[in-house]
Amino acid sequence: MLSRFFNKRKLQILAPVKGEMLPLEQVPDPVFSEKMMGDGVAIMPEDGGIHSPIEGTVILVADTKHAIGIRANDGTELLIHIGLETVSLHGKGFETLVETGDSVSIGQLLIEVDWKFVKENATSIITPIIITNSAEKQIQLEPIKKCNPGETVLMTVTPK
Amino acid sequence: MEKSFKITASEGIHARPATLLVSSATPYKADVQLTYNNKSVNLKSIMGVMAQGIPAGAVVTISAEGPDEAELLNKVEEVIVTQGLGEKC
Repeated sequence: MLSRFFNKRKLQILAPVKGEMLPLEQVPDPVFSEKMMGDGVAIMPEDGGIHSPIEGTVILVADTKHAIGIRANDGTELLIHIGLETVSLHGKGFETLVETGDSVSIGQLLIEVDWKFVKENATSIITPIIITNSAEKQIQLEPIKKCNPGETVLMTVTPK
Repeated sequence: MEKSFKITASEGIHARPATLLVSSATPYKADVQLTYNNKSVNLKSIMGVMAQGIPAGAVVTISAEGPDEAELLNKVEEVIVTQGLGEKC
């Protein structure tokens, strides 16, 4: 009843990279496919760097540069994990352009990736995009589509 | 109450180990903190645990407070040991 009086704010999560959107269930790693980290989608990247899917603050840059976490102003926490088993590349193939604490805007370039190198040296380049505090959120996934960074909406997050 | 562990997983506590740890602690009521390098984070937060950037060889302390703190710490220890993430110290 009361909720009718609150204008629940919606947060749109845009694509961080050019490529094909895939359901999380198709990521060949149970940590992601069984949604142990949270709900989200994946992208099979085609080209270009990783751009910010939201406006917010960088809260995590892995020392190995293969993962980045951003907190939106509404508290939503989003993790972009570039490829699978990419932790073992120890930063090779990635160049980070931001650090923890930086404010980022939608579409801002965050990480440059040498996709050819990562493809040859990691299990996969499939890139899960996860809402890690999704237990507190309601997440509406968009239908599968081609993605352009900073343009294509992947999902919409609203408070529960 | 608290327990300390030495992390032995070769890549440290990255996405998968962090997820295993958080999943093991989340079902319990007790508040639980993971402390590394004098910085404490909520062990029920994947982003918090990953942001600690805990490398192999690090010693971490996990402290829990609440009605089921002992059960929680036992479960976390079981996961750390059986998943090869670390050893009790």
